[in-house]
Amino acid sequence: MLGREAALVLLDKALGYSKAQETDIYLNAQDLGLSRFAGGTIHQNVAHGNVVLNVRSVVGKRLGRATTNDLSDSGIKKAVESAHQNALLMPEDSSFIGLPPPSDAVTVESWDEATAFCSPETRAKIVHGVCLQGKGHDLNVSGACRTGVQEIAVVSSHGTRAYHAGTFAGLIINTMSDDSAGWAKGGGWRLADMDTEALGREAVGKAVDGRKPMAIEPGRYPVVLDTYAVDDILEALSLYGMGAQAVQEGRSWMNDIIGDRAMSPNVTIWDDGSATQGWPVPFDAEGMPRRRVDVITAGVINTPVHNSYTAGKDGLVSTGHQAYFTGAPIASNLFMQEGDSSLQGLIGSTERGIYITRFFYTRLAHSKGCVMTGMTRDGTFMIENGQITHPVKDLRFTQSYVDALAGVELVGRESKLVLNEVGFATRVPALKLANFNFTGVTV
Amino acid sequence: MDDFLSRALDLASVQGASYCDVRLVETNQERFVVRSGAVDTLSNDESLGIGVRVLVNGFWGFASTNIVSAAEVDRITGLAVDIAKASAQSNNGPVSLGPPVTSRGVYTTPIQIDPFSIASEDKLGLLLESDRRMGLVKGISARTGNLIFIKEHKTFANSEGAHVEQTIYEAGGGIMATARGNGEVQRRSYPQSMRQQGCAGWEFVDAMDLVGNAESIATEAVALLSADHCPSGVTTLIIGASQLGLQIHESCGHAIELDRVLGSEAAYAGTSFLTTDKLNNFQYGSEQVNITADSVRLPGLGSYGWDDEGVPAQSTPVVENGRFTGYLTSRETAAGLDLGLKPNGSMRAASWNRIPLIRMTNVSLEPGNWELEDLIADTEDGIMMEMNRSWSIDDRRFNFQFGTEIGYEIKKGKLGKILRNCTYTGITPEFWNSCDAVCNDKLWTMWGIPNCGKGQPGQIGHTGHGAAPARFRNIQVGVMK
Repeated sequence: MLGREAALVLLDKALGYSKAQETDIYLNAQDLGLSRFAGGTIHQNVAHGNVVLNVRSVVGKRLGRATTNDLSDSGIKKAVESAHQNALLMPEDSSFIGLPPPSDAVTVESWDEATAFCSPETRAKIVHGVCLQGKGHDLNVSGACRTGVQEIAVVSSHGTRAYHAGTFAGLIINTMSDDSAGWAKGGGWRLADMDTEALGREAVGKAVDGRKPMAIEPGRYPVVLDTYAVDDILEALSLYGMGAQAVQEGRSWMNDIIGDRAMSPNVTIWDDGSATQGWPVPFDAEGMPRRRVDVITAGVINTPVHNSYTAGKDGLVSTGHQAYFTGAPIASNLFMQEGDSSLQGLIGSTERGIYITRFFYTRLAHSKGCVMTGMTRDGTFMIENGQITHPVKDLRFTQSYVDALAGVELVGRESKLVLNEVGFATRVPALKLANFNFTGVTV
Repeated sequence: MDDFLSRALDLASVQGASYCDVRLVETNQERFVVRSGAVDTLSNDESLGIGVRVLVNGFWGFASTNIVSAAEVDRITGLAVDIAKASAQSNNGPVSLGPPVTSRGVYTTPIQIDPFSIASEDKLGLLLESDRRMGLVKGISARTGNLIFIKEHKTFANSEGAHVEQTIYEAGGGIMATARGNGEVQRRSYPQSMRQQGCAGWEFVDAMDLVGNAESIATEAVALLSADHCPSGVTTLIIGASQLGLQIHESCGHAIELDRVLGSEAAYAGTSFLTTDKLNNFQYGSEQVNITADSVRLPGLGSYGWDDEGVPAQSTPVVENGRFTGYLTSRETAAGLDLGLKPNGSMRAASWNRIPLIRMTNVSLEPGNWELEDLIADTEDGIMMEMNRSWSIDDRRFNFQFGTEIGYEIKKGKLGKILRNCTYTGITPEFWNSCDAVCNDKLWTMWGIPNCGKGQPGQIGHTGHGAAPARFRNIQVGVMK
C-alpha cells in the first residue's frame, strides 16, 4: 500500500506534467488477499497489488482520458500526454461544464489494521473452521475468504486533494448435499466484526433443512425475502435506473414515475457514501463528496444520483456518485429503512407463500418497471399457515422489481450489510411482499 | 524482461516450490464511446505486471505486482510460496499436474491492419457518423456506439522448461439505438448486443459497416414501440445466429468447464449438470447438434497459440451428433480424474494479477445443411427471434430464460410482422434435443462475447461462439408476465 503521503506526492507529480487547461487524476489502488475453497480444500489462494492512475485532461469543452499502472516518470508522463492528446482530438461537448470545483475534504473511518494486514494463515484458519462445520453434516463446503486494502485519491488543477484508505473483509460460504444447498455471506471493513462461525451455521442450516425439496407449480405467491434477496432488488434498481444517465436517456425504471408513490409507503431507500454502517467511501472518482441521496421516501420516487456531467446537464450539483473512472453515476452504498417485524413475524404472517433466502443470475428483462428474471438458489422453502413446512425446488421468476416493492406489506426490524466484490454494498432488512411472479421451475 | 521470469523460477525452486510458472503481461487498450452525439470516452489504457504461481508440497500459491523489478519479483515469489504453505492448512491432498508442459515458441494474432495504426480521428469519425445516422430517425431517445482495440503481449515460462511469447490483438465495435414512446422503451443493436469483437485487426471493424446499418436499426427500434407483444405459448422457434451464440455460451460452454463440474465454482457461479458419469454417455442434444471447443478458429476471441499453462491451442469435440463427448480442461482437472482426459489448452487468466481458470475458448455449433429461406418456408407456424436483450440460467445450467431485441412471426412458411419483448425459456438438454435443423455455413458467424464473468476475485473472459440460425420445436415463449 502507498499511504496518504506517497499517493498525493505521486499524484502531484503527475499533475505537474500536464499542459492541459484542466486536469484531474484519480488514483485507485488495491492490495487483496483471497483464499478460495471447495470440497474442504483451499484450491486457489492469491495475493495481488495494483496502483492505477486515471487521468482526465480538459481542453475547452473536450475531455480526454488515459490510464496506466506504470508509475515510472516516463509511464506517468506518457499517460498524462495521452489524455491531453485525446482531448484535442474530440469534438466540443456543449453539455460538458468542466471538471468539478474542489470540495471540503470529507473523511470517514473505515480502516482496520488487523484487516489490512491479515495473513494467509489467518484466512486459512477461518476456512478450516467453516469446512469443519459442514463436515459434521456430510456437506460439501466451498466459498471464498478475502481481506485487503482499497486506497483512492484525487488531485485536480482546481485544487482538489483527497485521499482515503479503507479495509475490507468478506466471507462467502456455500454448502451442498446431493439435493440441497445453503449459502451465507458476510462482509464489512473490519474482519473482527464478521462472525464466521455464525455464517457457517447459517449456510449449514439451510442445506440441512433443504434436503428432499418438493417441486411446486409456478405462479404468483406471497413471498418473504431474506436479506440477500432484498440486496439483489436494490442492486438491480441501482444498476438499471438510479443513475441520472439512464434517466436522461429514457431507459431508467424511474422515467415517468419521479414524484409518484410507485412503491409501498413501507419502502424508504437512500444512498450514503459516508455512512459507516455500510462500506463507506467518502468521495467519488471525481473527488466529490458522496452525499446522501434520498432516492425513495415512503414509496415516493425522488431523484437519481449524479456525477458532475449529468448534474451539469440538469443544472444541478454532483451528488458524488461517479464510482468508477468511466461509466455512469451509480448508487453503491445503499440503505433500506428497517421496519418492526422479526423474520419469524414475516413468516408467521404468511398463510401460504414462499420463503426465499437468495436470488441468482438475475438480469434485466425490460427496463420499464425494472422487470427482472432470475432463479431462487441455496435455500427456498414453502410457508403454510405461518410455518415453514418443506423445502421447494428452485424457481425461475419474471417480475417487475418496482411492482414487487409496491407490494411490501411488512419490513424486518434487523438489517444486514451485504458487501459485494466490487465495492457495491447494501444494508437491507427482510421483506414480506404481497406477491411475486414465478414463471418456471428447474430440474 | 526474460531475466525477471528466470529469477522467479529460480527463486521459487530454492524456496521449495516443486512447480512454478510466471506470466509477464503488458496490455494496451483504446476505448471509444459516443453517446447521443457527444464523445463519452476516448481513452488509452495501459497495464503491465507479473504474476507468479507456485506449487509447494502440492499446494497452490499465487502473488502478483504491477512493479516489474528484481526486488518486487523476489517479494512476490516469496509471498506466493508463503501463501502455498498456508493453503496446506486446509487441504485434502496435493495437486497433480500430470505430464510436464514444455512448449516453446512465438505466436501473434494474424491481422491485416494494425488497429493501433488507424488514427483516433478516423475511429471517432466512424462512431460519430453512425450516431448521426441513428439520430436521423424520429423517436430515438438515445444512441450509443463503441469501439475497442486491445494488444496484449504476454510471456509465459514454467519450471518444466516451457517458454512462450504471444501477442494477441482484439478489435470490436457496436452501435445501439433506443426508442421511447407510447409508454414503452425498445432498443436495437448492431452487429450484436454491446458489440461484436474478435481476435483480428482494424479490418474486422471496417467490415461491420456500422454506418450503413445505423439508420435501419434505429428505424426498427422505433417500429418496435408499436409492435405486437410476443405471444405466450409453446411454439416452433428459429433462433438467429447472434442469439444462438449466447445460448451456446450459457447452456453448453459453461456447462462443460471441468472445474465447474468438479465444484470449484460452486460458491459463486455454480456447478454443472454435465457430471463426469455423463461423459460419452449422455444425449445432450439431437443428431443435428455438433459442438466444438477450439482455440484455433479465428477471429474467435478464444484464439491463441498456447493457454496460460503453456498447453498448445487445439480443437476438442464436445457434442457429437448430440452425444456429450468432451470437457474444457486444465492440467490439474485432467490429471485428477481417471477418465483419460488431457489438458486441452483452456486455462486463461484475465490479466497478470489473476490466476488462470478454465475458460471457454471458441465453443461453436457446427453448421448444418439448411438455407435460412428454406428453413422458414419449412416452418408452418412459429417465431424467429434474434439479438440478445437478457439472459439468465440456473446454477447447474439447466433452466434458462433469454430475451431478444426483436422477433418475427412465422405463418405458413413466411416471415410476418415484428414482435416486441420476445422471450423463451427451457431446460438445456430438452432444448438442444428439440433442435431439428441448423443452417449452413453461409450465415455461420463467429460471435465474440467480451464480458464473461467467472472466478473470485472476478475475471472477465473473452470467448468466441460460432453459430448459424437453428430451429427448435415445442419451445415455451412469451414469459414476460
